[in-house]
Amino acid sequence: MRLLTHNMLSSNIKGVANGFPLKIEVVKVVEKEVDFNIDFLKNMFHKVEWKALVEASTTMGYAELPENADATMLDSDDFLHKFHHALLELHLEEGALVCPQTGRKFPVQKGIPNMLLHEDEV
Amino acid sequence: MNEVGIDSASSLHTSESIGEAPVLRPVSVRAKCSSNVQSTPEIEKKYVHGVYDAIAPHFSSTRFAKWPKVSAFLNSLSPGSLILDAGCGNGKYLGLNPDCFFIGCDISAALINICTDRGHEVLVADAVNLPYRTGYGDAAISIAVLHHLSTEDRRRKAVEELVRVVKKGGSVLITVWAREQEDRSLIEKWTPLNQRYVEEWIGPGSPRVRNPSSPRILESIPEAEENSAGERLKDRHANSSKVKLAEVMNSISLDEGNSSAPAGSEKGYAEQQEYFVPWHLPYHRAEVSGASAVALASGLAKKDDKKGSVVYNRYYHVFSEGELERLVSGLDNAILVDRFYDKSNWCIILEKTS
Repeated sequence: MRLLTHNMLSSNIKGVANGFPLKIEVVKVVEKEVDFNIDFLKNMFHKVEWKALVEASTTMGYAELPENADATMLDSDDFLHKFHHALLELHLEEGALVCPQTGRKFPVQKGIPNMLLHEDEV
Repeated sequence: MNEVGIDSASSLHTSESIGEAPVLRPVSVRAKCSSNVQSTPEIEKKYVHGVYDAIAPHFSSTRFAKWPKVSAFLNSLSPGSLILDAGCGNGKYLGLNPDCFFIGCDISAALINICTDRGHEVLVADAVNLPYRTGYGDAAISIAVLHHLSTEDRRRKAVEELVRVVKKGGSVLITVWAREQEDRSLIEKWTPLNQRYVEEWIGPGSPRVRNPSSPRILESIPEAEENSAGERLKDRHANSSKVKLAEVMNSISLDEGNSSAPAGSEKGYAEQQEYFVPWHLPYHRAEVSGASAVALASGLAKKDDKKGSVVYNRYYHVFSEGELERLVSGLDNAILVDRFYDKSNWCIILEKTS
């Protein structure tokens, strides 16, 4: 699971009002190189919840992202490459995603989050 | 893309809703379970999720051809788009447009494992209840998914989810199997589900399965020997409906952009929309997984020695012409921008407006 995906995922357990962002429990992180796509980065910058990305990235062991970011920073190659790396190249390979409201853990195994709910959670 | 008016389609909605009136029926555990639109009915667990989990590698090995119209849609999206595929199966469309990024999900962990092995970004999730923030995607696709959902409420909810997860101005492509199959002989290989079965498993809200004259008892349904099933189908059911379907097939044009139903044509259709569709898993494939042994023991699958395969039944609700349009006609945050028939599928493209 990339942080691109983490920034999208939200706990949808019945009754949970604030399911975002899911807390990350890290067992294993891997890095995989991805082609640089500036259109994609500029598109996603406006959708990404920056604070959640910074926190997640730090949890995954990459603390190079600035605490705050604005659109003018998209002119900086250095910034774009850091954003690219955090968003697309860090993978949570083993671990869990934790619902911020209920503490329910969604397992992440072989890089795959399992977000299926139990009968009593829908 | 031109906006397509759907007034005529939505006006048909009234007749479609008749089946939703409260009906007294025996209270069963299954009926209780299906009271929540997001709760997966047993029929989908057993005859959709269970089957795909069991046949995943073989299914995947047969699923590589990409439909040109889906490819065209994906290639029409702006470079840098995030495309969400809800019900991605073996992930054959993930990565199709190399200038875009894809995230896929499916309820079958076995299929998602295949996607991961191919390097795709995927997760296990339910298309009826996507664990996604609102408006994150630029586009979404649902290819051959909605026909596996067993109630109209669940099909509608899945559409609402697709629209919810894309941004304002984002587009959604949905394709479903059509009742109006190009190869009509295919339908004879399917097992129609009878009224009693549908009411018990799916509930009376499921529209247009109104043919009590074809009584198939529950126990007989998993029988998947194609020949005998086909004979029974001819004997009991299809003699009349087959002719009607043939008439309809001749009366409608299958050309793109000319798929509007003539008024009253609904009456001419074969009414059956709920089916078990067989999946033949060759013995040499079945032995590998071990899941088939369990499926055979539990009665989920049957052996067909003539064909040398283990036969699974997959649940399908095949869509009638105009049904997909009616399903989306109540959306207040999206408009229908295109609709077409392609390779025995009904297809629509929606645009999120707010």
